[in-house]
Amino acid sequence: MSVLEKELEISDFNFEFNKKDAVTELTKEFGQQFSISKSVREQHTDTTTIHPSKLPDGVVFAENEIDVKKTVEICQKFKCPIIPFGVGSSLEGHVNALYGGISIDLNNMNKILYVSPEDGYAVVQPGVTREQLNIYLRDTGLFFPIDPGANASLGGMTSTNASGTNAVRYGTMKDNVISLKCVMPNGEIIKTSNRAKKSSAGYDLTRLIVGSEGTLGIITEITIKLYGIPEVIAGGRVTFPSIKDATEAVIMVIQAGIPVARIELLDQEQVKACNNYSKLNLPEEPLLLLEFHGSESSVKEQSEFFSVIVSDFGGNNFEWTSNNDERNKLWKARHDAYYATKSCKPDLEYIATDVCVPISRLSECIEKTQNDLTKYNLFGHIVGHVGDGNFHVQLMVDPKNENEIKNLNKFLDDLSKRAILLDGTCTGEHGIGQGKKQYLVEELGGSVDFMKNIKKALDPFNIMNPGKIF
Amino acid sequence: MLENKNQWLGQIYNKKNIQDCISKIKERYGQQFSESKSIREQHSHTMTIHESELPDGVLFASNKNDVSEAVKICNEFGCPIIPFGVGSSFEGHVNAPFGGLSIDLNNMNEILNVYQDDLLVTVQPGVTREQLNTHLRDTGLFFPIDPGANASIGGMSSTRASGTNAVKYGTMKDNVISIEAVMPNGEIIKTSNKAKKSSAGYDLTRLLVGSEGTLGIITEITLKLYGIPEVIAGGRVSFSSIKDAADTVITTIQSGIPIARIELLDAMQVKACNLYSKLSLPEEPLLLLEFHGSKKSVEEQTELFGEIAKDFGGKNYEWTSNNEERNKLWKARHDAYWAARSYMPGTEMYSTDVCVPISKLSDCIVETVKDLEENDLVGPIASHAGDGNFHVAVMLDLNNKNEVSKLGPFLDRLSERAIKMDGTCTGEHGIGQGKRKYMYNELGNSVDVMEAIKKSFDPNLIMNPGKLFI
Repeated sequence: MSVLEKELEISDFNFEFNKKDAVTELTKEFGQQFSISKSVREQHTDTTTIHPSKLPDGVVFAENEIDVKKTVEICQKFKCPIIPFGVGSSLEGHVNALYGGISIDLNNMNKILYVSPEDGYAVVQPGVTREQLNIYLRDTGLFFPIDPGANASLGGMTSTNASGTNAVRYGTMKDNVISLKCVMPNGEIIKTSNRAKKSSAGYDLTRLIVGSEGTLGIITEITIKLYGIPEVIAGGRVTFPSIKDATEAVIMVIQAGIPVARIELLDQEQVKACNNYSKLNLPEEPLLLLEFHGSESSVKEQSEFFSVIVSDFGGNNFEWTSNNDERNKLWKARHDAYYATKSCKPDLEYIATDVCVPISRLSECIEKTQNDLTKYNLFGHIVGHVGDGNFHVQLMVDPKNENEIKNLNKFLDDLSKRAILLDGTCTGEHGIGQGKKQYLVEELGGSVDFMKNIKKALDPFNIMNPGKIF
Repeated sequence: MLENKNQWLGQIYNKKNIQDCISKIKERYGQQFSESKSIREQHSHTMTIHESELPDGVLFASNKNDVSEAVKICNEFGCPIIPFGVGSSFEGHVNAPFGGLSIDLNNMNEILNVYQDDLLVTVQPGVTREQLNTHLRDTGLFFPIDPGANASIGGMSSTRASGTNAVKYGTMKDNVISIEAVMPNGEIIKTSNKAKKSSAGYDLTRLLVGSEGTLGIITEITLKLYGIPEVIAGGRVSFSSIKDAADTVITTIQSGIPIARIELLDAMQVKACNLYSKLSLPEEPLLLLEFHGSKKSVEEQTELFGEIAKDFGGKNYEWTSNNEERNKLWKARHDAYWAARSYMPGTEMYSTDVCVPISKLSDCIVETVKDLEENDLVGPIASHAGDGNFHVAVMLDLNNKNEVSKLGPFLDRLSERAIKMDGTCTGEHGIGQGKRKYMYNELGNSVDVMEAIKKSFDPNLIMNPGKLFI
């Protein structure tokens, strides 16, 4: 509790939320679509971090934009917090109801409204998940590439500026959202832009809302870019004597302009865990996994060029294939990485964090982080989207072991600070949420005041997901 | 509505305060400051038919502290500030409708740091794109964004510029990693560190990109760089109709050919180029292509493209990877601007741009050509077809009042047409003074959100007033 009180105290927004009257009015307005049952509220809180779960006072299941607008208007009237909820897969406590209030569940807004193959975009509601979208697109020859691992909702992915394994080729959500419709804190519905591929008309509200974690408005419609499914997808695998060799090879690959579609690094401990879990016998050394997209001859050319570069940096046992089944076998270690880590300590809890640094600083950052795992006696593996300088630490911790949690917090603190010192960011793709607020200030200093200005100008009563980002 | 706004703005700025402010700036900056009429005229030249509106003085800033101190003084007196790069913008961005101080950033032209391994460069705002690419020559890297003019990087960031190769490399919003800016209160902020991606807080980088100097003055920019392609090939093909050409472009993009430039000239522009550059191209819509990649990949791209063009009736397709010959093939495009200018001797050229979803491009161009014909206006069209973006270069005899009076209504219809087709009134030139009146039509109440942000950053409205929507 004391942490919360402290947060309230440091909050720039000092007034009382009125949740009781909001609940009464929402019950009247939404009937069956509104729930205050404890089990439902428990499903709509943070479950993926070590932060204590805080339940909302009620959950609205929105069916359409009008439902969202009505909910926002009622919450606005009573100054009641409102927390947008997708599938709840975020990793920094974004959906935790720190001050109670109303969780607005957008899963029933899951229609794919329109696909324009000529223009290469789809218009979707926020509850559509990326797997749902790609299954729907299957017959069109198009796909939506962004893949954060979890089968997240596109609304959630937009809100956290998600990315994942193939950002190195296709960018992050910010690069792939063309336009948004949004219910703003005053209940107005805005459209951030039309659907031309580019525009110089005014402030880029699209990218202001992308990554704003539900603190500026609730997304009700998203226009996203689609891509043609590559003719050939090839996979590859290669091991290195050290993290440094692996990252130097990656730097060279990118400089050479090889349009690699995924380039993932597993550290030696992660490889060890994968060997055990997936019954592989990879050398217990840093491992790079690749994917190449293109025509048959271009993929072949990419793989061959790649193989020349990696051998210059001490890469061993390079294998590649354009056969689907074999590619999945090569990539098995990556696909199973999460389960492999979990299976090492089945009784403990899984915690994931991410940072991102300029790629020239990546090996330094990873090596120091590995040393820290030893220093703090923590069990963790590292998986990196190395092409972006982004990596995750997957930790297994015992939440009941106070000492371990203390060490975990120190480790996370050191990690964020290290990334910032190396001219990077405390989060490359997970977002700030509840967990990284202090680092945002450390990272961006006076910029944060201007973010707060925007927040106050658009949401003067701080009803939109309060206690996140700031 | 716009007149009311201009009137309201006119009352905000007090002539005496501005004079006092200018005196204080003069005292503080001495030789770095000028009130001479010719210098003030140079700093309000609009490149358009907007009348020049002179600033009261011009400050030649040498560094960010100059900028910050000047902004503080102007903020204290409520004096308008207009940032100035090379003055090549097309919508009157550098005009001073309410007087005030023009801050010339051309002396801040240092390339501060090239990060070879990270493919980044940090520059001051006065660096021009040609200067940057000359500097980079020995590194094997280049900065691709090419709006035609040798614009300053600061100006290009401020208008979210792009140009011929945006289809492959994106626009300024995709290529600016981080910005340092002096905000309206004089504070210097950094919008982000240098990691390739980040989910930390609101995206202030992309809020400043395209904000046309209305939120702050950019003092440092970190940009993405790319490896110079091994092979650059050029191509050219004619079509009997705009629709056939546009359909070729759509299919090319859908089939995932990573085309680097794909430019469309309409029949009149081709005619103008034939005259100016002594070519004998068929006077029909022309597509000009550029392919980047390895030798093999370029060959494959050009062949695949050739097949697509043939399906849509493409004629006289030629391509080459020889530099000189490529320049010959592209001559029509390189000279398009000058060809248009000299097409009607004795006329002035007024350049405008709109952008629509690519599926609407041929309709939009065809209707625009018809509109020009019906109104006896001459306006060759050149299009960045891969983005659905096109320019009309309207040729006006400034002594012919009747002709000049047709321009405004034509531009109104053009913008309206683009907006109706789910596009934008400007794909790359920006809003400036010229397109303020279309903002509400295009974005509705989103403009209120922009206005709220503007006021929260710049409560005294000193930053480039009379532009965008203020």
